[in-house]
Amino acid sequence: MMRRESMTTGIGLVAGLGLLVGSIAAPPAAAQIGNPADGMGDAPRVITLEEPESPFVAFNIWVRAGSQDDPAGKEGLAALTASMIAGGATESRSYEQIMEALYPMAAGYGQTVDREMTTFTGRVHEDNLEAFYALFRSALLEPAFDPDDFERIKARVMNQLERSRRYSRDEELSKDLLFWMAYEGTPYAHPEDGYVQSVRSITLDDVRAFYRDNYTRDNVVVAVGGGYPTGFAERVRADFDRLPAGTVATPPAPRPERPNGIKVLLVETNTDATAISMGFPIELLRDDDDFIALMAANSWFGEHRNSFSHLYQVIREARGMNYGNYSYIEAFPRGYATQQPRVNVARRSQLFEIWIRPIAQTAPGNLHDRSLFATRAALRELDRLVENGMTAEQLEETRSFLRNYAVNWGNTINRRLAYRVDDAFYGIPDPGFLASTRPGLDGLTLDEVNAAIRRHLQAEDLYLVMITQDAEGMKQKLLSGEPTPITYAGAQPEHVLEEDREIASYPLPVTEADITVVRVEDVLEQP
Amino acid sequence: MKQIMSGPLLALLALAMAGPAQAQERVFPFEYERLELENGFTAYLVQGGAPGIISHVNMVRTGSRDEVEPGRSGFAHFFEHMMFRGTERYPNYDEVTASMGAARNAFTSNDMTVYYLTLSNEYLEQVIDLEADRFQNLSYGEDVFRTEAGAILGEFQQGRLSPFRFLDEAVRAVAWEAHTYGHTTIGLEPDIRAMPEMYEYSLDFYRRHYRPENVVLVLAGDFDVERAKSLIREHYGDWAPGYVAPDIPVEPEQTAPRDSTLVYPGRTLPILSINYKAPAWSATDTVAVALEVLGQAAFGQNAEVNRRLTLQERRVQYLSPGFGLARDPSLVTLTTMVSDPADVDAVRSEILEEVGRVRDELVDEATLEAVKSNMKYGFLMGLEEAQGIAFSLISVVINTGTLEAVEDYFRTLDGVTPEHMREAARRYLVPEGRTIVTMVQAEER
Repeated sequence: MMRRESMTTGIGLVAGLGLLVGSIAAPPAAAQIGNPADGMGDAPRVITLEEPESPFVAFNIWVRAGSQDDPAGKEGLAALTASMIAGGATESRSYEQIMEALYPMAAGYGQTVDREMTTFTGRVHEDNLEAFYALFRSALLEPAFDPDDFERIKARVMNQLERSRRYSRDEELSKDLLFWMAYEGTPYAHPEDGYVQSVRSITLDDVRAFYRDNYTRDNVVVAVGGGYPTGFAERVRADFDRLPAGTVATPPAPRPERPNGIKVLLVETNTDATAISMGFPIELLRDDDDFIALMAANSWFGEHRNSFSHLYQVIREARGMNYGNYSYIEAFPRGYATQQPRVNVARRSQLFEIWIRPIAQTAPGNLHDRSLFATRAALRELDRLVENGMTAEQLEETRSFLRNYAVNWGNTINRRLAYRVDDAFYGIPDPGFLASTRPGLDGLTLDEVNAAIRRHLQAEDLYLVMITQDAEGMKQKLLSGEPTPITYAGAQPEHVLEEDREIASYPLPVTEADITVVRVEDVLEQP
Repeated sequence: MKQIMSGPLLALLALAMAGPAQAQERVFPFEYERLELENGFTAYLVQGGAPGIISHVNMVRTGSRDEVEPGRSGFAHFFEHMMFRGTERYPNYDEVTASMGAARNAFTSNDMTVYYLTLSNEYLEQVIDLEADRFQNLSYGEDVFRTEAGAILGEFQQGRLSPFRFLDEAVRAVAWEAHTYGHTTIGLEPDIRAMPEMYEYSLDFYRRHYRPENVVLVLAGDFDVERAKSLIREHYGDWAPGYVAPDIPVEPEQTAPRDSTLVYPGRTLPILSINYKAPAWSATDTVAVALEVLGQAAFGQNAEVNRRLTLQERRVQYLSPGFGLARDPSLVTLTTMVSDPADVDAVRSEILEEVGRVRDELVDEATLEAVKSNMKYGFLMGLEEAQGIAFSLISVVINTGTLEAVEDYFRTLDGVTPEHMREAARRYLVPEGRTIVTMVQAEER
């Protein structure tokens, strides 16, 4: 069960020859972004990524509305609306008929809802293009909003919110709560799925109204990629122009405050491992001049799900404390499920974020000491990065790594197209972000990188979320300021033990007023 | 679909290939060559995917299935981690792969451990050298071994709360008496906690399993085939054979249905797992392939029972057939999450009634054709890029040690009839081979 996104799919689960989809790089492509049209602000109406030799055609329909547009008290409405469109009946077909038609094609479509954007994506073999497109188009343009579908989909979401989100993956919960803390009082605060009580209150009329108000002709961008026939993209755009006109007022971008000192949220749950997330707002988006420089610094410091990450080397590789440790300069929901950067989670405000995967209780040792040791190790490394910057050698290593590694981010037509949609969101001109990373990296200087680090990063003012057992005990340990040493099952080199002593007593200055303790049952329950 | 693949489809896929197309009746559309060395090492060199990119995928035919000694559950997976700890020539594997910008990782499951790197073809020689070196000359000390055991515990912990992990452990424990499919790939917690003490065993494990006869390389992408062959000979040619196949216990025949209720310590709606003992994967046994087809046809998203329970009556959150077969006789599974705890018994009865029906009645031809089409397009849809191409072959390579069986498989699939499916149901979907585990949360028991 995934949240925020799911697929209406004809992809069977038969193993047979066991489909395991992997990754690879971008072939040459002719990309084109259509001209901005009246009423679309600075976004285009059609995005195309033509790859004539490909046997696949990919779709990405971008609706410029997301969870920030949820009405107060109805948090989760954007996500539920998108789920009804991608997972329900149309005016001409029941959901059963849709699934039956998709199945022989082994194709499907699904939705992703983030703070600012909703995208509907699908990929089909060219043999089945017309049959697939007829279903996909109907789903978006003629949704039936059937009461039975609503009951089924809402029950599934409620099950996720009531039984799963807070109890089955603490590390993802810790990330949701980090954003909830950092964006308190703004439309970015709530997770896309909403709160238990807000989703419970959503009616089918709410869904219809959200669709009517946000799925308007000028609020929808059409993107088509792959080996589609001549004129096809224009046809798709013409079809979507049948949507009614309407003006959608986008909320102002949130401007979250950087906290004063360390603000801690301790969540009490039944566990023998601690999930840890920390971070703070940064004023940096993908289209900013500093972006590639900070992307390089962040890659060295904490490249997602990669042993290249310095944090990974310090906490996992040298000390075996957990499964991995990473950092981010852009939102990266559900990082546990993918090694590749998320697409179509473009935002007008971002956090710098550190993700420490669950720290387990091992013998000998104490869970709280170990959890705080890992937290201290991460903050100490961040502090050192800010203080010392990167070395020339580290920058060269990173450049060498990233200029090839980043090619993998666009390994499929769906992903390449999604990046073009994100380019449109940020206003990044041709040839787009993916194609710009390598020349951007090649042109970076050490001074630029270290200036970007100093401009955007710091290790004093941040939000810290820990999901752990005996939260009150953790609070007392934090307040005591005592060192939190660790021990090992095997021998460690002296230089590691020496560093351990420094880490164990790295300052975490907090007062009682900085620490909030809550029970897991109470988080994300209501606005 | 009468043909294995339609004409236009084949033509389009052929366009994506580097080099001339081979025989057009094949399902796997890319040109490939097989290279077998004297030491038993086999490599398949597949041309396909985007220009400039290669994927080097070493498939070891060892997984948690091979963990035959007591207390060693999870060890194949643990050993996968140790493979990243370097050699004398390349003491820092991470640094070397990072310098190439390789997207690389590995995974372990019941029957396999798979190591993959996807990267620019300018590193063809380096990647073959690097991988051949760690498969022959891995070198790590006991302290590093103990440190890595901590990371394994961390990996165990990050998925620990999942109800499906919990259920998987229980189903295996109930369904199997002797075979190693009785434990999960991640391993049981006491065994994981004891791993720091298994250094000597790890060296022995490497000597026994990491041998040329037990590993198949699929090199896919855009590269010079002759040069790659020469590099593979050069770097893998001196690898000493010596694979010792483990003595995997044979499961005694199950003679009566098994039933178990499990209390999940967290929160969940009831989950019902209905399992049947099933045959080993085969590319040529029509009844075995028919059983895989039957899972989709009779219980998949378009099957009558699935639509009724999930869409029309909305009594379950989903009903999911898992009918993929494995290297040894394994389980096929129907999993469903029941919306109302009071309805569990009734849902169970209706699913079992449907199982009974497919033993008696024939699935209609149209449904069968839809499933065949889905399986073929599903296979082709995965062939978008070099790593996807290599990964699409994992199952056939692990089960047979060769790639050629992929064509046998699709030929057999084409020949499956409703009668074969009924025969599969009569042979395998029988009460004597059944294991049902019902998982509920504490207060709903």
